[in-house]
Amino acid sequence: MRFVDLHLRPSIEDVHQVEKMVGKSSELGYHLVGISLLPDVTQEEIRQLQKICSDVRIDLVTRADFVPKNPLELLDNLRHFRRRFEVVSVACLSKPVARQAAKDRRVDFLSFPAIDPRKRFFDYAEAELASKALSSLEIDMAPLLSSRGFSRFRLLSCLRKEVAIAKKFGVPIAISSGATNEHLMRGPHDYAALAALFDMPTPLALRALSETPMTVVERNREKLSPDYVAQGIRVVRRKRIV
Amino acid sequence: MNAVWTAIFQLFGEHGASQANLTLIECNPQKGYAIVRCSHKALEMVRASIASITEINEKPAAVHVLGVSGTLRALRKKHSL
Repeated sequence: MRFVDLHLRPSIEDVHQVEKMVGKSSELGYHLVGISLLPDVTQEEIRQLQKICSDVRIDLVTRADFVPKNPLELLDNLRHFRRRFEVVSVACLSKPVARQAAKDRRVDFLSFPAIDPRKRFFDYAEAELASKALSSLEIDMAPLLSSRGFSRFRLLSCLRKEVAIAKKFGVPIAISSGATNEHLMRGPHDYAALAALFDMPTPLALRALSETPMTVVERNREKLSPDYVAQGIRVVRRKRIV
Repeated sequence: MNAVWTAIFQLFGEHGASQANLTLIECNPQKGYAIVRCSHKALEMVRASIASITEINEKPAAVHVLGVSGTLRALRKKHSL
């Protein structure tokens, strides 16, 4: 099983921290990591990150996290930046944004970072839209690790409900670390054990750490490839006509 | 071990802690590992508790489970301990 952590959030300017986190991912058994990048990231910075990852034999996925204030801003971000990143996630902080993100096929992951249940919008309607548009629900484990007491059990309660809704509607679930430093990173089996706290069965949790994110990455890499024409159609050979 | 017990109490309460049957077998601070025994039925619970530790003695820390085995001999052989 190839484990994937698609949401590492190091400070890109601090190369030392990036190296530590990527090295930790390799130690913990991940084969592929996704690092959150700003929309204006340069090719030089991406090449540097790829070199850091290849030094520890880990594959890198470029990722953009959009936090739009309204659906128009989301559509604008997708129009400008979708093709520059292999994975796109939208943090849904309002209901209109959540609905638009769930409907849009260009969005790979829906994330709901708020701990307050009134600000989490993954309900039946959202799940139905997401299941038709092939979006996945992303669960970050860092908030679960860093919260305590009342906020933690409120978060667990929300996650339990959302996992149940996602299972009912067939929305794929992906688990990521969401870690900003190496202290918040854990191995895949440890995350699977933590996922049992919100009633996610271990086999489903392990799939959420491997197959589900891997499928998204492979699908997007194929679409972003220069040989891609449409689903099921790709350029096999090019011929110069003189 | 205090950190592990505290984590089990926080996540699963006294009932969960009573089911864990946790015992420290060996601790090697120089190499940075410890061997802990628990009830096999409570394995996932103990694993989740260990993963949830984010500080020890008020310092940021992370504890990772290197491996799980039914016998100490197999565990030491697999991880060269």
